[in-house]
Amino acid sequence: MRIAHYLNQFFGGIGAEEHAGKDLEIRDGAVGPGKLLESLMGDNAQVAFTFVCGDNYAVEHQDELTAAVLKKLRDSKVDLFVAGPCFDAGRYGVAAGALCRAVQTELGISAVTAMNEENPGVDLYRDTVYIVDSGINVTKLRDIVAKMAALGKKLAAGEAIGSPGEEGYLRRGWLRDQLVDKSAARRLVDMLLAKIKREPFESEMPATAFAPVPIPAAVKDLSKAKVVLVTDGGLVPKGNPDRIEGTAATRWGAYDIKGRNDLRAEDYEVSHGGYDTRFVQEDPDRLVPLDAMREMEKNGVIGKLHDEFLSTCGRSNPLSNTRRLGREMVEKIKKEGIDAVILTST
Amino acid sequence: MVGSNRVVLGTGIVHVTGDAKLPPSEEKELRRKLVQKALDALQSNEKL
Repeated sequence: MRIAHYLNQFFGGIGAEEHAGKDLEIRDGAVGPGKLLESLMGDNAQVAFTFVCGDNYAVEHQDELTAAVLKKLRDSKVDLFVAGPCFDAGRYGVAAGALCRAVQTELGISAVTAMNEENPGVDLYRDTVYIVDSGINVTKLRDIVAKMAALGKKLAAGEAIGSPGEEGYLRRGWLRDQLVDKSAARRLVDMLLAKIKREPFESEMPATAFAPVPIPAAVKDLSKAKVVLVTDGGLVPKGNPDRIEGTAATRWGAYDIKGRNDLRAEDYEVSHGGYDTRFVQEDPDRLVPLDAMREMEKNGVIGKLHDEFLSTCGRSNPLSNTRRLGREMVEKIKKEGIDAVILTST
Repeated sequence: MVGSNRVVLGTGIVHVTGDAKLPPSEEKELRRKLVQKALDALQSNEKL
């Protein structure tokens, strides 16, 4: 089996944080943990080449990095792509997850990575990429690489993959049908009895947990603040230039409102399959209250209204999309020096 | 979400910062009030 391996500057032997800006290098054969991977895979598995890249470069040039990795993989026959293990290195985890997903989606090559559950890469990629639960302890490297090797072998061979508990990967949020001996009623009662006796039990369907987000402090002086209007009601310019989908939207847009005091029906349309959009179509201020905000700006209630409103569609949108959309919007909002957001939602 | 502050109740789903049943001038006034409420919430740490 031929493997391609992705490592950051540290595991690639270049150096620590001071080398995080290092651009992509492609080296023949295995490097560092890749050698361990080879030996644990056995069966003449070979790391054909190793991508080594600085964590900052990877995050700041994600598109270029992905393109370069895909190009190299397209030109070489590889059975498995392995990234990391990343432990709790956040930039590393995000890059590893992104590359694994790209390799799977664009080239149909199996991929596996490993990171700690709290790694931001998990949130972004857990539902589409197999991420072995590595914990934070780098001294467990051997065990983790062994799990990656075992899982990677199965993936590359197209074998059925067991449950997260069995194979050691982080729950992906997928439900799977399975034939079992006991009826649901019996299994439920067994779980309840275990719970009452304070014995361990495993839920078959763990509830989605939302990590609590600390509430930001109040704006001190609104009259000096820059405010932006954001909506998930799907308001877009006529023609929907960014093709924002009306369900499970994967895109968002920023639309110019410089000099406008009011949103006019003829300039906009609504891409949202979840509500009767007639009223917003008649007067878009009913969703994005530009006219009222402009007055607030003129009267000095707020310092400045940002020259664009941000928009996407919230309908039936899984967290895997909206977490990313939110993060991307926040990047832009921070870049524009905005102090506060008014988000209108249908 | 339970426990979130800074959530202002809009006027229904189909016109969250408006009300198609009102004459235009009243609708505008409603919108002004909603926006002001939102701006007040931004300046407050209290639960709404």
